[in-house]
Amino acid sequence: MSSWRPSDSAVTHLYQQSRADRWSVPVAVFATALERSARKAFVTPPEPRDLERLLGSLHLEDLALACACASGHEGAWEHFVREHRPVLYRAADAIDPTGGSREIADSLYGELFGLVERSGERRSLLEYFHGRSSLSTWLRAVLAQRHVDRVRSTRRFEPMPEEEPTTPARSEEQPQSRISEYIQLMRRAVTGAVSRLPAKDRLRLAYYYAEDLTLAQIGRALGEHEATVSRNLAKARREIRTDVERHLREQEHMNPSQIDECFEAVVEDVGSLDVSDLLGAGSDQPDSSGSPGGRRKDSRDKRSKERPEGASA
Amino acid sequence: MPERDRDQSVEQLLRRVMSHDVTPLQGACVDGETLAAWSEGSLRGAEASAVERHVAECSRCRAMMASFVRSTPPAPVPDSLWRRWHLAWAVPLATAATAAAIWVALPNNSAEPLPPVQTNARALDERNAARSSEPAAAERAQPAAPAQAGARAVRPQEEKAKVAESATNEVRQRADRSESRELSDLQARGAAPVPQAEASLPAAPAPPAASVASPAAAGAAAAERAEADSKKEVAANSAAAPRAAARQAFAPNQIVATDGTTRWRIVNGQQVERSTDAGASWTPAAITSTDALSGAAAPSASVCWIVGARGAVYVTTDGTRFVRVPFPEIVDLTSVSATDGLTATVSSAEGRSWRTTDQGRTWAAPR
Repeated sequence: MSSWRPSDSAVTHLYQQSRADRWSVPVAVFATALERSARKAFVTPPEPRDLERLLGSLHLEDLALACACASGHEGAWEHFVREHRPVLYRAADAIDPTGGSREIADSLYGELFGLVERSGERRSLLEYFHGRSSLSTWLRAVLAQRHVDRVRSTRRFEPMPEEEPTTPARSEEQPQSRISEYIQLMRRAVTGAVSRLPAKDRLRLAYYYAEDLTLAQIGRALGEHEATVSRNLAKARREIRTDVERHLREQEHMNPSQIDECFEAVVEDVGSLDVSDLLGAGSDQPDSSGSPGGRRKDSRDKRSKERPEGASA
Repeated sequence: MPERDRDQSVEQLLRRVMSHDVTPLQGACVDGETLAAWSEGSLRGAEASAVERHVAECSRCRAMMASFVRSTPPAPVPDSLWRRWHLAWAVPLATAATAAAIWVALPNNSAEPLPPVQTNARALDERNAARSSEPAAAERAQPAAPAQAGARAVRPQEEKAKVAESATNEVRQRADRSESRELSDLQARGAAPVPQAEASLPAAPAPPAASVASPAAAGAAAAERAEADSKKEVAANSAAAPRAAARQAFAPNQIVATDGTTRWRIVNGQQVERSTDAGASWTPAAITSTDALSGAAAPSASVCWIVGARGAVYVTTDGTRFVRVPFPEIVDLTSVSATDGLTATVSSAEGRSWRTTDQGRTWAAPR
């Protein structure tokens, strides 16, 4: 029979596995936590087999610890402070070495402890932990989310960055209107080409070009070796170029000379930025330097040191 | 226009196109726990694909994942060829030297088993012990010379000195090699290679790492002491206390997690036990293994990798329940080093290594 609630025997077994008795977590409380995890994972009541698989995959010890901490068990809190709190603060320092995320970590820790009242009742943020990941990873993820939200909200009120000097020598024989037209055309073509790539390729490109992650960091995020990331980036870029060329040739009916002009128009436009770029790029970058203007410079500096295979100089 | 210039154009456009703020409504974003589970590789099939598609599109979640990755400790740098070659021939030599040093140092301690496999966690423990308790190590070495003079009085003094000196050299070489490699491993993992900081972990009241001295450390100290004694001809009648301390140094094989209090040990070759109180009490972990287990690494309090014969690789990310990780070959694995629940490098008895960064779903080709 489909249900979110595990059977009593399953609860007993999982309770033992979780070692929740260390923290004197009542079985009923633990059973409720399991049910909450199941409700979060399944929209409709799952089949017993699916429920069993889900519950078996949970990080039960961490879930038991979260239950105990949420209910204020002193020993559990001591354990949390010893094992998990350092993770939180180390992550904060890694995300923003200038210490900007420490404040978020402090606030998050307060919420974990249950300092924030919701509807007149003190509730711990740990009640929102369902055991699908390890507690440490969850803490880092929540911290990263809050950091990004704060950066995004602050960015909207920051002045626009000063632009770097533009490259001179825009071709005199090409009228400005045609250059703009070509650039817009190229942007649409590249956007279309990117959208046709598999999600993983898009993500890899976004990590590299939008988030400024290093090849090693992208490798960690996607479970790939650094060299594989480099190869895949180069391959994706080749595919995009081929797709753009085909689009210009077949959809826009351009001859080889016009296609060349399109690509040249982008190269010559290297120094200029339009407003949409600034709004788009500046609003979501968790820039630890805190300097939106510095990001592009940093980004270019990084690119000059670390480029994927086959990247143009 | 050359292809290279076209590539440059594409790159410039990609920077702009990919940076556009495409964020779904707040409620449509993936929650932190799901992203955390996805990053750990815990999601499967359609759910994982859906999260991947969303993160690829949503600039907010993408930025969050980027921040998350920045907070992830870096993976260990694989050993270079010369270093692996170095260790490959050094293993039997070091084992023999350690055995010789122990035999010389502790003639009455035949009951204590030797740790079968050197792991990173174990090595950390050893170094902690060696550094944090140098005076203690020297004290423990006290019985070495007396033991030779007493229990093995029949052996001529010259022979004794020769053996001690040989053991000293070999053990020193091993300790140097071992320490330099572990230091580089730790640095690669971002662990603080500061002796004081490490020594402070297992400090004082409880038993932890400091009191679990290593065979290498104790052996080296013992051999040094023996060498000194052979020169000075110091007679020896040592008390039971230091001898007991020396025995304690050869505690059963334990893998100490980086927090210093969580420990693991392999019992009877096929079972695993865990201690969360620095070895004071042990509870069995859930693991179903029919193969002999031989090596382990614990990069955190809740994560432990264990390897064994016939390609046996197990990992736990919750500290209690081990799951078998698929491994492509049937070889006897003897050691493992790991940085988290996803990334580990395992090595076989003949010195080959494999690396996974996705909890064993894929393994890098043997080196």
